[in-house]
Amino acid sequence: MIVLIGVSLLIFAIARVIPGDPARIALGPNATAEAVAVLRDKLHLNDSFLEQYGYFVVDLLRGDLGLSLYTNRPVMADIAQFLPATLELVIVSGLMMVAIGLPLGILSARHRGSWIDHTVRLVTLLGVSAPAFVWAVVLMLAFSYFIQIFPIAGRISDSCTVQTVTGFLLIDTLIAGNFKALGNAVWHIILPAFALALSGIGQAARLVRSNMVETYDKPFIEMAQAYGFPERRIARRYAFRPSLIPSLTIIGLDFAAMLGSAFLVEAVYAWPGLSRYGVAVILRKDLNAIVGTVLVISAMFLIVNLIVDLLVSIINPRIRLSQRAS
Amino acid sequence: MTTPTLKIENLTLGFKTWSGTAKVLHGISLHIKKGERVALVGESGSGKSVTARIVLGMLQQLKSARITGSVEFEGVNLETLKPASRHALRGTRMSMIFQDPTSSLNPVYPIFTQFKEVLERAQPGITNEKARERAISALADVAINEPDRVLDSYAFQLSGGMNQRVMIAMALANNPALLLADEPGTALDVTVQAQTLKLMSALVEKHHTSVLFISHNLGVVREFADRVYVIYKGNIVEQGPTGQLFDDPKHPYTRALLSAVPRITGGGIPDLDDDPSGFTAPLATHDGYSERELLA
Repeated sequence: MIVLIGVSLLIFAIARVIPGDPARIALGPNATAEAVAVLRDKLHLNDSFLEQYGYFVVDLLRGDLGLSLYTNRPVMADIAQFLPATLELVIVSGLMMVAIGLPLGILSARHRGSWIDHTVRLVTLLGVSAPAFVWAVVLMLAFSYFIQIFPIAGRISDSCTVQTVTGFLLIDTLIAGNFKALGNAVWHIILPAFALALSGIGQAARLVRSNMVETYDKPFIEMAQAYGFPERRIARRYAFRPSLIPSLTIIGLDFAAMLGSAFLVEAVYAWPGLSRYGVAVILRKDLNAIVGTVLVISAMFLIVNLIVDLLVSIINPRIRLSQRAS
Repeated sequence: MTTPTLKIENLTLGFKTWSGTAKVLHGISLHIKKGERVALVGESGSGKSVTARIVLGMLQQLKSARITGSVEFEGVNLETLKPASRHALRGTRMSMIFQDPTSSLNPVYPIFTQFKEVLERAQPGITNEKARERAISALADVAINEPDRVLDSYAFQLSGGMNQRVMIAMALANNPALLLADEPGTALDVTVQAQTLKLMSALVEKHHTSVLFISHNLGVVREFADRVYVIYKGNIVEQGPTGQLFDDPKHPYTRALLSAVPRITGGGIPDLDDDPSGFTAPLATHDGYSERELLA
């Protein structure tokens, strides 16, 4: 909560430091000086900074983020429309990161020093070293252009009509029982989500590997080996779980960072998400929309971190039990 | 003459490095009869622990390890066994106790999970209830008062002495023929160490378990072992029955080792310039206690 107040103050201040007059940009170069002055007055732009922030907080408590000067709609409505698309993309990427990254890391650690390990490390290094938008372009070229197995852009084909319930296409199509549309949406999301996930996959695999290699040197692993516990079991249970604890925090941060890097991927794949909206409004100095977008993204960040902390305390008995004791 | 539980013959170990092979063991021979408690004594780096790990087959999987010689377990040469059947011996016919009990138990699973895993080695598919029953009686044997609470605890919630007793209970749970005790309880304080060793001693006597007791602690060895092998830089330098070896050490290194025990009257730590040239003198055996005579 305190973090959110701090973020709102900061972004509120920064948004006002960006050069240019929002009213002038909104009305265009041909508007009269009077019209600009009227709009400035209406937006409280002539008041002091603290007064402006006061108006903002009062409105925010009523669930009102103001009007967007760019779309001329309430910012809340804009966010409600664009956020699900981004969340859907990021969540699918996050799942890919966990579902591909962790097993790769385990595989690599279990066969440390062998060719399997070297291959995994090389491939994941590639994933980490190129930014998401490069992968977005490369994957698009490879799998939508040269080998046309995936669509070039968009969330779903125009031929599919889906009634909006949650805004998450994967869920909406499922609710409607429209499996053809669901398949179509899945088909559309695979490439952008994978491009977004690649660096996360690499990082997760490398983290899990290095933490696990370290864990393999611990006496309790030697004990497990001395008692002849099956190697596979040792990898999956005895070495993996203690190694997951330090990795999980970073993976959580990665997941949250995807919200940011989602922008470029959204741009490449014409994905109608919040990140794209965010950049558009910054360029237009749409104060209300900027503040609203940033607030929502930082709230997401906080929620993800909270979930990670909870997960860590579930996995790590030391944290769980010390909390119960205090 | 019954077959000894463990017979090691002319065992050598080297580690291959960039600059040639580093020799760790130079051909050691030792054996343990059924129910016998044998100590392997030496300073750090003399090759005690690697010997135990070779017996378990844990060093063989290292690519850099070069091993020759033979290790026989209950009359079977372990090198001739298939990897799977060799692996099957671990935790069932031979088990091991480690130096630091607390860090030898996995921190993210309660004791019971690990106990059950050990029991499963001998009895695959054992039910939770049965495993719990067995674990409780095993813990009762090592004088743990609230076995239920201990089983549901994590290693970090228990004291070092408790964990050591848990380890002993686990090690003996499947009634192994051979127990490898690698400096058990060196990480514990002296009184706790003495207590747990006494417990272990009584239990192995009851089950007729053979023990290879690895230690640098001469006091403990004197209490615990029937026979002693002294190892120095990868060679056995003296062997004999515990009493004789302590009263009448024959090898210069054994004498130096014994004189290095601190005494309450002062002295004990030898000067560094004490002549170590005699330490590499050949094996000294007490009458009737050479490998040949004992195995005849």
